[in-house]
Amino acid sequence: MSTIPPRPPRHTWRVIGLFLAPAVAAYLLLTVYPVLRTIYNSLLEIRPREPSVFVGARNYVQLATDKTFWLAVKHTVIWATLAPLLEVGIGLLLALGLYARVPMARFFRVAWFAPVLISYVVVSIMWSWLYNYDWGIVNIALRAVGLEALQKAWLGEPRFALAALILVDVWKWTAFHMVVCLAALQGLPREVLEAAEIDMCGWVRKLRFIAVPMIAPTLLGLLVLGFIGKMKVFDLVWLMTQGGPLWSTETVSTYVYKRAFDWNTFDLGYPSAVATVWFAAILACVILFVTLFRQRDTLEY
Amino acid sequence: MRLVKRGITLSVLALLAVLVASLAAHAQDKTLTIWTMGGDQPGWVKWLDAIAGNFEKNNSGAKVKITYYDKSALLVALKTALRAKQGPDVVYHEPDQMELVDAGYLRPLDGIVPWDKVQPWAREAWTIKGHAYGIPYSWYTNEIFYNKKLMAELGVTLPATGQVSQADFLGILKKARAANMEPMVIGVGDRPFPGAYLTFEMLLRKLGPADYQKLLDGKLSYADARVISVLRYAKEIVDAGALPKAFATLKLSDSYQVFFQRRGLMFPQGTWYSQRAFAPADKGGQPEDFSLGVMNFPAMDAGACNNCRTAALSGGYGVSADTKQLGLATGFLKEMATPEMGELWTTLNNSPSGVLFDPAKVQNQYAWYFKELDRARQGSKYFIGIPLNFVTGQCRETFIQVINKAFPAGLVSVDETVRQMNEACYKG
Amino acid sequence: MPHARALGRWLLFGLLALYTAFAIGPVLWLASMSLRTTAEIDRAHYALPTTWHWWKFAAAWVDSSYRVYFWNSVIVVGISVLILVAIGGMAGYCLARYHFRGNRVIFFAIFSTIMLPPQITVISFFQILVEYRLFNTLAGLIIVYIGVQLPLTLQILESFFKRIPQELFDAARLDGYSDFAIYWRIAFPIATPAVVTVVIVNFILLWNEFLYAVVLITADEKRTLPLGVYKFMGDQFSDVGMVATGAIISIVPVIIAYTFFSEKIIQGMRG
Repeated sequence: MSTIPPRPPRHTWRVIGLFLAPAVAAYLLLTVYPVLRTIYNSLLEIRPREPSVFVGARNYVQLATDKTFWLAVKHTVIWATLAPLLEVGIGLLLALGLYARVPMARFFRVAWFAPVLISYVVVSIMWSWLYNYDWGIVNIALRAVGLEALQKAWLGEPRFALAALILVDVWKWTAFHMVVCLAALQGLPREVLEAAEIDMCGWVRKLRFIAVPMIAPTLLGLLVLGFIGKMKVFDLVWLMTQGGPLWSTETVSTYVYKRAFDWNTFDLGYPSAVATVWFAAILACVILFVTLFRQRDTLEY
Repeated sequence: MRLVKRGITLSVLALLAVLVASLAAHAQDKTLTIWTMGGDQPGWVKWLDAIAGNFEKNNSGAKVKITYYDKSALLVALKTALRAKQGPDVVYHEPDQMELVDAGYLRPLDGIVPWDKVQPWAREAWTIKGHAYGIPYSWYTNEIFYNKKLMAELGVTLPATGQVSQADFLGILKKARAANMEPMVIGVGDRPFPGAYLTFEMLLRKLGPADYQKLLDGKLSYADARVISVLRYAKEIVDAGALPKAFATLKLSDSYQVFFQRRGLMFPQGTWYSQRAFAPADKGGQPEDFSLGVMNFPAMDAGACNNCRTAALSGGYGVSADTKQLGLATGFLKEMATPEMGELWTTLNNSPSGVLFDPAKVQNQYAWYFKELDRARQGSKYFIGIPLNFVTGQCRETFIQVINKAFPAGLVSVDETVRQMNEACYKG
Repeated sequence: MPHARALGRWLLFGLLALYTAFAIGPVLWLASMSLRTTAEIDRAHYALPTTWHWWKFAAAWVDSSYRVYFWNSVIVVGISVLILVAIGGMAGYCLARYHFRGNRVIFFAIFSTIMLPPQITVISFFQILVEYRLFNTLAGLIIVYIGVQLPLTLQILESFFKRIPQELFDAARLDGYSDFAIYWRIAFPIATPAVVTVVIVNFILLWNEFLYAVVLITADEKRTLPLGVYKFMGDQFSDVGMVATGAIISIVPVIIAYTFFSEKIIQGMRG
């Protein structure tokens, strides 16, 4: 059964054009043009009712000394490294648990996946209530075990707010990674599973030293995708803390949004510069990962 | 599958139709659009409905469309919509939102509003670059409301002016905390100013109006000895546990509930307090048996103006510079600037209207409240404007994050606060 | 050692059950609160409903404009998804089955946009929509959503079309079908599983989309459901009960879609 299509005769170039036209048009108009325009914006100071002023690299120079920007970068990078590690790690453990054929596996899978489906607005409402100082379950639980002294206003303290948000992010996305890991595990050759049935201790060891390394490419792919995804994090932060308190949860995306739409100058040039720099940073990371792992197919799951 | 195919064809057509419709839909029907806050305050809604009713009666064929927003969401929506020239015709805005004027989004109201019907000092207080841009709907002063029953429970009798010394004030707060009350209820979850009640009201009394203005304009350093002494005193209040633990995330509306229902003793707030507090209890208002009192911020040691008070315009209604309904907008504002509507606002909300009206005509069951306010405010000198009216850019952002949020939450020291505020605001 | 093994299994089950409580507990709590009044909740935050206040859903639907927001979301997501299937299907089929210079370039160019942070485009989209008078319109939002979701759609459909045996097409061509007829009548119907995956995945992502919606829509009557729920996180004193009800209304369609199609989604993601 050959699946390789033959080389088409000349006249089907028209057909190819017809098929691709809408998608390519959408791509050019809705991706290439806006990106180029943002890059162009970054060289201007945009005033609402007056013509924009060309300022060259001034926005970028200002960016280099912008303390809030660098804070935002630090928080975003921490998030993008920590969250995927936790999500993929816990997801893998959960997948291994399901792989070991516990009862009620199907129920578990459905239940775990619910957070993935819920919009960030609802997630932020839920968790703002859970983190509430007076009646949120976190503090109630601490009180119940006698650890009242550890109670905090979790979203109101700079030391804990970022960790609190990352926990919510992990809550939301872990099951997604679990599904992919499980699929990868189930795609492994049957001998692995059969050999594991022999005795329990050997079973655990076999999983660790055979099954997991065999799905390493999948895991790496998830980590990379997770990293890139978290570099863009906005919704959760904006809805729960808006970058506060004291800029402790400020991320690059919330900073761009603030400067563009919620600042008391209306200049769109500076936030465009921030966005451009961030885009370049993500691009650099992707290129780094691709060359490092040389596995382009891990980008497809 | 056939369904999907049909669906696709239909939706392409639908998209085209919707596109054509939206491009054509800038029809010139006679609808006046208004964006405003206040949807959660029954008195405010009634007042606007009354004005709209009068307007529609006097302008046959014209319709009024009022959209209520949350205050913070409103500002963001205005910034994007007015920039896109798709904002409302009549715009609610506040004196600290000078950026709307700077960007040219609002039209000067010089010939539009009958200024003789508006409180004269209000027009002057809200003049930016020589023009006025909004009819004030109300003005207020900053007070400390308190629960008379709980104060009696502590065994404290306040003097007639409601003002005690720094030491006594701190003493009351400490007693309250020990008696399991919430000594001073403030929440900054969704507003950029309440945390500053703790510090800036006392700075006003310590520095006096002239130096207070200098501080706000960036001409006085936060390292001034008087400023530092006030901040140290405020820190003592914070360290005594006077503010709620949930301070940083407590929303404004919820702070009212804490004051009413969780043994809140003091509640610093502008006199717009009445707009929420005198609503029925199930709409967020005071419980039936609540005994309300009005007191003052403490008299500062060696204070330059201990009988000073902050007064400010709450906000008002202006006209978008790009409105296509200038005639209708003008008509609406004229309906707003009538003594009848001034009386109506005051009667419904128990906060004074920005429009000239006859106080004798305001008759409702809250006469005692006005008496209490008058008693507390006797002999006061008024400083017009809250800090947010004066700070912009990075100074404003730092003010909101540090003075409003972090300092009262006990997250920064006095020295750190001084350093950050000077860095952002002091012009040397 | 059978005892140790049984113990191990129970331990494992326990840990998984613990995680389940963590994952779904908050959701069940929200559902429980949606059926209780705010006063009841204030008294006991974590109790189960004693009376089941089903009327709250009707109240949220009618009084709080949820039906307007719901309808807006249906229009925006429905049209976006269908057009994405149309455009993505054609392009995916073409890129999968036709060999030509630049095939992989086009594919990777479009697919690589998946790594674009939204911030790089949101400012420009704002300017563009304003200039073409599509700001604050559902049509503008639809167009933006199509641009944003195209790469993922294309990838899923292209990878599916690649796996169709060539014999099918050769036979059709012998029968005299035109290229487009081959696509529309043969390839596309076969792609039902992939199309279903695309529809569900896009539905879930766009139904919950927030950033572009909050920037590009300001009028109340044009809000999509996430913006509608967002509106109720606002100034009114926290009517916790009603907020919970509204939140549940917004989750229900996605949960339903997932319950019925979970297998397909997982298969689609494996592919």
